[in-house]
Amino acid sequence: MSPSQSSVVPQSAALRSFAAQWQSRPADSLSPLREQAMQRFLTLGLPTLHDETWRYTNLRSLAAQSFVDAPRKTRGEIEPHASLSLLGKADRAASLVMVNGHPVEPLVDGSINGIEINTIRGLSELHPNLLRRFLEPLSDAEQRRWSLLNTALFVDGLYIKINAVVPLPLVILHVATGEGTDDIAYPRVIIDAAPGSSATIIEHHVTQGEHTPLTNSDTHMVLGHDAQLEHYRVYATDAGATHFDSLDIRQDRGSRCKQFTVALGGGLVRTALEARLDEPGASLDSYSLLVGHADRHVDCVNIVTHGAPDTRSSQTARAIAGDESRVIFNSKVIVNAGAVRAQSQQSCRGLLLSPAAEIDSRPQLEIHADEVKCAHGATTGRLDPDMLFYMLSRGLDRDTAQSLLVYAFLADVLTGMSVASARTAIENALIAQLPDSQTLRKFR
Amino acid sequence: MLKITDLSARVAGKDILKGVNLEVRAGEVHAIMGPNGSGKSTLAQVLAGREDYEVTGGSVTFEGRDLLALPPEDRARAGLFLGFQYPVEIPGVNNVYLLKAALNAKRKAAGEPEVDAFEFLTLIRQKMKVMQMNESFLTRGVNEGFSGGEKKRNEVLQMLVLEPKLAILDETDSGLDIDALKVVSAGVNTLRDPKRAVVLVTHYQRLLDYIVPDQVHVLSGGRILKSGDSSLAQELEHRGYDWVQETQVA
Repeated sequence: MSPSQSSVVPQSAALRSFAAQWQSRPADSLSPLREQAMQRFLTLGLPTLHDETWRYTNLRSLAAQSFVDAPRKTRGEIEPHASLSLLGKADRAASLVMVNGHPVEPLVDGSINGIEINTIRGLSELHPNLLRRFLEPLSDAEQRRWSLLNTALFVDGLYIKINAVVPLPLVILHVATGEGTDDIAYPRVIIDAAPGSSATIIEHHVTQGEHTPLTNSDTHMVLGHDAQLEHYRVYATDAGATHFDSLDIRQDRGSRCKQFTVALGGGLVRTALEARLDEPGASLDSYSLLVGHADRHVDCVNIVTHGAPDTRSSQTARAIAGDESRVIFNSKVIVNAGAVRAQSQQSCRGLLLSPAAEIDSRPQLEIHADEVKCAHGATTGRLDPDMLFYMLSRGLDRDTAQSLLVYAFLADVLTGMSVASARTAIENALIAQLPDSQTLRKFR
Repeated sequence: MLKITDLSARVAGKDILKGVNLEVRAGEVHAIMGPNGSGKSTLAQVLAGREDYEVTGGSVTFEGRDLLALPPEDRARAGLFLGFQYPVEIPGVNNVYLLKAALNAKRKAAGEPEVDAFEFLTLIRQKMKVMQMNESFLTRGVNEGFSGGEKKRNEVLQMLVLEPKLAILDETDSGLDIDALKVVSAGVNTLRDPKRAVVLVTHYQRLLDYIVPDQVHVLSGGRILKSGDSSLAQELEHRGYDWVQETQVA
């Protein structure tokens, strides 16, 4: 049985190809949910510059492309490359690999206490109702389009259940590798943190080979009562990569989430985060480290909704743009009626390293409750000439001085990372992109 | 060592230095005094190579080399040090990192190998003792959250570690209480040696009670109006800067 015919006529080549993918998918236990998502996606169409959260990112050339599913690969087909391993074996609980959205068997390279791992496909056959709550959209926001498309078209993914306190990070390596120029992949990850559990999960996105598929990835996290989760998503893809990534976070009473979004690579990276703090005492700290150089385009959108009393959130974004790159950071905090004593903080700082680079940063607040404490601030500037001169007057090379200042600018995000091995790995990847990385390495 | 000839400079479209002449020989300590706005700090910044200060005339040689042709980092490596009047805070860049990078830059320029980590820490600890600085300095960002006095001590500490041939100290005495002034002066005095020179830029005579200069110059209106030995500083303290300006007019 194939899914029912779409009632909307797709307007662009890209939409027609997505509709064709939808037609060719066999029905599964999630079909009703997928059908809803697909219809909604086709109704909304591709985002244009007229859409509020897409005003800086033009998808016109993408709309003219026709996409096909990126190939499935086995573990043996992935090049073993050092750069693919963000953490050494001793520093991680386990490492999971997904290639073009397909979990690679065997799933785990070691045994893990306190974590249960399944493929979404396997689980959906056994317990379709269990997955439903992780696949329903958090909201109907227009920025969610890519997430809807992922829900309709993902073939498989990972369901990770955290049952206990897990001391070492779990790494998910997402490899994107295409065979032609029109490939698309739909990685899907569900993270389900049981009440009182605690873990760190690092999603590391890399590319391999000559052709990089368009990646439309989606991660959905649910934190149970008093659960603690530290989540990283690191984009270290190559310059030709286009990546849309959506992250949904739902937090129960007293849960604490720390989230790091680190954009180090890619040609066009669009990252969305949508969090709901719908129970008292839920707390979220989100950090974004956005690095633009060459002609890269990094577009980051966060929406955090406080839906209950005594919830707190903070957003710390540090953006750097060099050469002709453009970095966008949009963040919005919504405090619903009744979410009294909610606290939120938004701090966005941008650093421009070249006259042709651009940073757009827009922190927004929407408050419908009393007794709340919400603050936001955004500044963008160039390297401080007084700081630079001070360092030069001590004999430092200009490159070294600049790199040190850039590094210092990012410190607020880096020092927030509680997993030392993850921080070191991310720092290394970051430093490799700065001028005079050689000298900079010695400082650490 | 340093020869300034007819130096003129402009800052933000305004002529500040209008023909400064000064010669400093190895082993000497010079004091440049003068009222606020006379161009003392501009002179110090121009010598260190501040790029937004435009040199409009004259020349400066440092050990026979054209100083003005060098970028600031090369001036530092050649042995020139500026102690800033207002040292900038650089959060996130550690004091020790900066000092080590500075020392290694100098050593590299001199064809020497990088300093050994242990040796370096021993050196810093020893100099910190001279400057009576707290151990917490080692882990803090450059001048981050330092009091005015701590910043000035840090300037002198950097100078002691880098051992420049020529140190220009821009109002290193301002904002110091008497105890701090003694410590800072003692630090500067340890650097006095026949192969080095120090230029003290100051507004007040009191620093010169602790670091006795060989020559004192009065800079006013962008020119050196009067030069003399250390007794000139006493006389200035007594009679004020107006006295020099009036004598000049007369």
